[in-house]
Amino acid sequence: MPLQILSELPPEPEEMKVLIKRRIEENILNSDVNVSAGGPGHFEITVESTEFEGLSRVKQQQLVYSAISNLMSGENPPVHAVDRMVTKIPSNSDG
Amino acid sequence: MKIDPDIRTRIEKIVSSDHVVLFMKGRRGAPQCGFSATTTQLLDQLVPDYSTVDVLQDPEIRNGIKEFSSWPTIPQLYVGGEFIGGCDIISEMFGTGELEEALGIPKAANTAPDLTITDTAAKALQEISGPSAGRELHLSIDARLQNNLYFGPIEERELSTVTNGIQIYMSAQTAVRADGLTIDAESTSSGPAFRIENPNLPKVKDITAQKVKEMLDSGENFGLYDVRTPEEIQIARISGAIALDEDIRNKLEKSDKKGTIVFFCHHGGRSQSVAEHFAALGYENVFNLIGGIDSWAQDVDQSVRRY
Repeated sequence: MPLQILSELPPEPEEMKVLIKRRIEENILNSDVNVSAGGPGHFEITVESTEFEGLSRVKQQQLVYSAISNLMSGENPPVHAVDRMVTKIPSNSDG
Repeated sequence: MKIDPDIRTRIEKIVSSDHVVLFMKGRRGAPQCGFSATTTQLLDQLVPDYSTVDVLQDPEIRNGIKEFSSWPTIPQLYVGGEFIGGCDIISEMFGTGELEEALGIPKAANTAPDLTITDTAAKALQEISGPSAGRELHLSIDARLQNNLYFGPIEERELSTVTNGIQIYMSAQTAVRADGLTIDAESTSSGPAFRIENPNLPKVKDITAQKVKEMLDSGENFGLYDVRTPEEIQIARISGAIALDEDIRNKLEKSDKKGTIVFFCHHGGRSQSVAEHFAALGYENVFNLIGGIDSWAQDVDQSVRRY
């Protein structure tokens, strides 16, 4: 039983920050990702990537959300909410 | 997590069932969450008729729509089958005027309209208003062309005009609908009663389902146009009606404006705005079937399915 309880503990925010960053970087090319943790399960995410060029702000954010969708779905997801999401295109890019 | 194909199909049907569909918590007029409330308030100012889906009543849709849209929060707005955004993005688009563009409606004005305030009305307004911050006089005309005069704080992006010594604030959307408007007042035993006359109200006349039936039976020459989506037309139809698709719409816009045209939708909201559009183009005999096909199904032909 104690093991059971342990396995249900939410991951540490620091671990989650690394995991969120990795998922986004795996899915969005050339991305520079910054994650900060708020309350339990709450995060703020900033992503800068050349992939965003030519996309509307909604489309840019959809890319990020779909990269981390399995961290946000199901009962009690480790990422409960993204309080703030900022997407940027690098200013020195040619596009 | 992958979305179940059946749920995907259900959601696809929903987003194509109306031009504007809002997935929200609660219903229009009775929202169950602040973000959903904000979003309906913004849409109410711009669109007379739109569909809402209460995700609280349907856990499948509630979870499914998040995967479907790659968007983790509710509300979610779809226009023409395309995902537009959540509350933050919609608020921002409202602020910049992009929301009108996305909804395909005319851009709001950036100058205040010419109003007339009669001396009686000006005097009455002065008496009841007293200039105090946060209680400025506002005029609002919503997408259904309902007028309202009220006192409240000045909001972002509002326009203001001074007429006959009275300062009035209004949204840019109201300004478009208020040009040439007159505010008059009468004194009554319970204080002043204000009367608003708006020349911009289009000349669309109401018509009942029974009357339309009589016109059809008598062989009268008129066009009966169904403005609903193809999906809705499959569910229920009025025999003799023409679906107002892109082609028919273009033809109708260019034809002789003397003919009589009658529009209907599900309940009469969407067809009202289509009817107003054709009235504005110069059609002289434009009617809106009040209560839509739902009224037809109740009052004329019970074999028509209600939905």
